[in-house]
Amino acid sequence: MAIITVANVSKCFHLRPDRPRSFQELLVNSFKKRSRHIPEQEFWALRDVSFTVEPEETLGIIGPNGSGKSTCLKLLARIIQPTSGTIQVSGRVSALLELGAGFHPELTGRENLFLYGSVLGLKRQEMVRRFDEVVAFAELERFIDIPVKFYSSGMYVRLAFAAAINVNPDVLLVDEVLAVGDQSFQAKCFERIQELKARGVTIVFVSHSLDVVRSLCSRTLWLESGQLCEDGLTEAVVAHYVQHVHDKEEALARREAERTSQPDKGKPEKRVGIEGAELQQTGDTAFARASIPAREGEPALSPAAGKQAESPADPLAPYRKRWGTLEAEIVHVRFLDKEGRERLLLTTGEPMTVVIEYIAHRRIEAPAFGVAFHRSDGLHMHGTNTALAKFDIPFIEGHGEVRYSTDFLPLLEGTYYLSVAIHDTAEQQTYDYQDFYYKFGVRLGPVSQRFGTLYIPARWEHVPDPGKRVGEAEG
Amino acid sequence: MIAKLRELLGYRELIESLVVRDLKVRYKNSILGFLWSLVNPLLLMTVFTVVFTIMLPNVSIPKFPVFVLCALLPWNFFHTSVIGATNSIVQNGHLIKKVYFPREVLPIATVLSNLANFMLALPVLFLFIIIFRVPLTIWLLYLPLVMAVQLAFTIGIALILATVNVFYRDTGVIMEVLMQAWFFLTPVFYPVDILPEWRTLWGIALPIRRLTYILNPMASIIASYRSVLYGFTDGSPPAPPALDFFSRTIVTSLVFLVVGYVIFTRYSPRFGEEV
Repeated sequence: MAIITVANVSKCFHLRPDRPRSFQELLVNSFKKRSRHIPEQEFWALRDVSFTVEPEETLGIIGPNGSGKSTCLKLLARIIQPTSGTIQVSGRVSALLELGAGFHPELTGRENLFLYGSVLGLKRQEMVRRFDEVVAFAELERFIDIPVKFYSSGMYVRLAFAAAINVNPDVLLVDEVLAVGDQSFQAKCFERIQELKARGVTIVFVSHSLDVVRSLCSRTLWLESGQLCEDGLTEAVVAHYVQHVHDKEEALARREAERTSQPDKGKPEKRVGIEGAELQQTGDTAFARASIPAREGEPALSPAAGKQAESPADPLAPYRKRWGTLEAEIVHVRFLDKEGRERLLLTTGEPMTVVIEYIAHRRIEAPAFGVAFHRSDGLHMHGTNTALAKFDIPFIEGHGEVRYSTDFLPLLEGTYYLSVAIHDTAEQQTYDYQDFYYKFGVRLGPVSQRFGTLYIPARWEHVPDPGKRVGEAEG
Repeated sequence: MIAKLRELLGYRELIESLVVRDLKVRYKNSILGFLWSLVNPLLLMTVFTVVFTIMLPNVSIPKFPVFVLCALLPWNFFHTSVIGATNSIVQNGHLIKKVYFPREVLPIATVLSNLANFMLALPVLFLFIIIFRVPLTIWLLYLPLVMAVQLAFTIGIALILATVNVFYRDTGVIMEVLMQAWFFLTPVFYPVDILPEWRTLWGIALPIRRLTYILNPMASIIASYRSVLYGFTDGSPPAPPALDFFSRTIVTSLVFLVVGYVIFTRYSPRFGEEV
């Protein structure tokens, strides 16, 4: 028997910009001509959503902003009513929609706790019984008898959370509230929710933190534009959701790259070094320049960063530099994912290939290609070149590609900049150095590593009795 | 409807807490606390006594302070309840938007805390009754009944206005003005017998005294209080309110209560999105 039944629920908000909000407006409007009548707009926050939750189940709800997650929770909490469909929730429902609701500044912490308890439907004796525990949880023993108007914001939030989470509900609705207090208090709240879960409390949990959803919820709903996209085991739903989000981000990054790539035309003249003047005399340059515009039509990232120097969103723009003789030029850089598709967003722990396209305007003997990775705060993560790797390129002439591949991208989530260069093996002569030129993103993907700067592929072993080996785990 | 009422009953502890909160906040910030709440009616009583016994001595009403105070206190209860309840939903929007509970709890708690306030002021009234040697009679037993009738009427009005204020936010401002008019139209500081039985206005004969009672339930309620606490302006001792008159008042009050409750519960599901 389900504890929560949601059947074909839709919720429509009517946006009526010109509805009178006071008698004064009502009066004024009735004298005005009805010339600029703004039509009523409808916003469907939820459309035909159905699901059930069994007792003791922990359900996660994920989805982008505006997908209807919070509306869904408010409906379950009976704060708003569905436009159509039915919702049934049995047992005592406690909703952690926002903290501090119902606290009166003039009353002491103690008085407020009792008041809050009764707002949430707790009997007085029950509150008396739990009182010390709640206060201890909030770490407010010393301050419980002073008015909450003298509380610091941290104290206020702790009291609120403690009050809300300790009411012993049958159904707990949680909306993105674990992000309160300091680390240790957060951990305590999280622990408390785990405890409630273990005690058999049914929990519906709305969060943007997929990690939290993963660790708390066995089942997850994915809402998208008010519609139920997927309902199933958390791992699968989260994986699909992440994939979907990244596809969207990728598309967005591409569009941005396309937008910013325009002004690359004519730039080589500005960038050339001292040798540039003579370089421009050669017929090869004409060929080179002709090839660059040809690339710009493509939905590629190509000299992606072309105009990024002027984009305010790019803090590392000042580092963007290019120098060299341009006897050999890097004309295009692509990132490929494990399937060989061109990407601007790569995934930690998965294969990645950087494709460096070049044009050598003359025959260059024994060149070396280099790459360097910088994090968005400027930290140099890694740098290498073909010479160091003892990878010999006898000579280059005309068009070609150099590929730098790894089976395992160790960078963690974030934005990174790739610098690429062609120089001679001895690093005496630089042909083309493009510093901080190519921006790309890394997302976590399925791995759970998320602390620090790198994902070091490693294994854990546990040897309680060094005689025999037990318990190996990937990590 | 029955289920809703039962649910409301289940939340009586919340009502209790809200009333206690109200009273605590009201009396917390001043040592004189509750004495301050007496200043207003006592000052008004003094002013009316001065006006009607010294400045206008031809209106002769015996024991004027008791005459006016036994009407002023119930009126104050009504006035503060209506003004407070009108804002109760909007003011507690932070609660409405975050927690479910029967919304009628809020205006009801406001009215009840004002009732508590009224009852706390009653000893002062009795003090005046004793000082002015108004006889305390058996009819005092009617007092709780009259208070219950007023409570029903007040809650009915409170529920309606609290609802209206959610949708039209200047209801509170309008009510401040209307309540003042209502005060003057209610025989609080003047006896109802002063009103003419009939008055011809623009050629229409109007039964002024009857109309006052019919159109203004507060007039009937105030008259009932006065009847059991003070008696009559001719000096006769307290008596029970006339049966037919009083039962009409009861029915009117109950009708207001039911209508108010129906209106309120009809619109309260939308409060969550409107506040």
